[in-house]
Amino acid sequence: MAPLEHYLIVSALLFSIGVVGVVVRRNAIVVVMSIELMLNAGNLAFVTFARFLDSMDGQLVVFFVMGVAAAEAAVGLAILILVYRNRETTDVDELKLLRL
Amino acid sequence: MMGLLLFYFAAAVTVAGAVGVVVLPNPLYSVLSLIASFLGLAGLYLSLNAEFIAVVQVVVYAGAIMVLFLFVVMLLDMRREERIPLRLPVQKFAGAILGVGIFTILVKVFSSDVLLTGAKGTFTAERVSEMGNTQVIGRLLLTDYLLPLQAMGVLLFVGVIGAVVLAKRRTG
Repeated sequence: MAPLEHYLIVSALLFSIGVVGVVVRRNAIVVVMSIELMLNAGNLAFVTFARFLDSMDGQLVVFFVMGVAAAEAAVGLAILILVYRNRETTDVDELKLLRL
Repeated sequence: MMGLLLFYFAAAVTVAGAVGVVVLPNPLYSVLSLIASFLGLAGLYLSLNAEFIAVVQVVVYAGAIMVLFLFVVMLLDMRREERIPLRLPVQKFAGAILGVGIFTILVKVFSSDVLLTGAKGTFTAERVSEMGNTQVIGRLLLTDYLLPLQAMGVLLFVGVIGAVVLAKRRTG
């Protein structure tokens, strides 16, 4: 078990890489994957603090976050499939009907 | 010593996989890279004595959610996106600056001196390993966390119905 800051730096790295992925990539599926990456960065921080504070609350929160992420990924991908059926593209630059 | 080595190896795999998701142009490779990252994360959870969470990570995240992503990637024709360049170089540069900025802010917060100010709980590593990690989580889920557990059951139920209804092909 490494010191606390090491785990938190890994979590921060994962989160910032996820942010860059959401902002830079044009493929909508890769954007959803980057969101999952950010969720996992939060999970890592929760479990780290759960260990270093002798608590199980962090691990239970991670359990629920994973459940929510599963439901969100399923519905999000279903929506993506519908969008692709209608517009033949998953490029986020093309899907701009709701933009100002 | 071995614990430290496990940490560095798992952390390297995790971060390399994460970078791969963002950098690789083919979305199929991105999915595989994310799977590798999740396996590295499972190793990190193991080094934190969170065995149940590590296994759930592999089974649910890498095993179910990522397979769902793979299905969707292979269902939709992604080949066109590879030939279109990712973005203008200035946009990629701005994205990199944003990432570095967020990382700096987070590291600044994480190296402050007042991190572990919460009251310590009662579940020390020895007590948890004596009772078994899964047993402790199961006991807590059915006592202190009963309401969130039921709520998550309803949420997953709604999610399943939603996904099936949305993706169903309408006949006529």
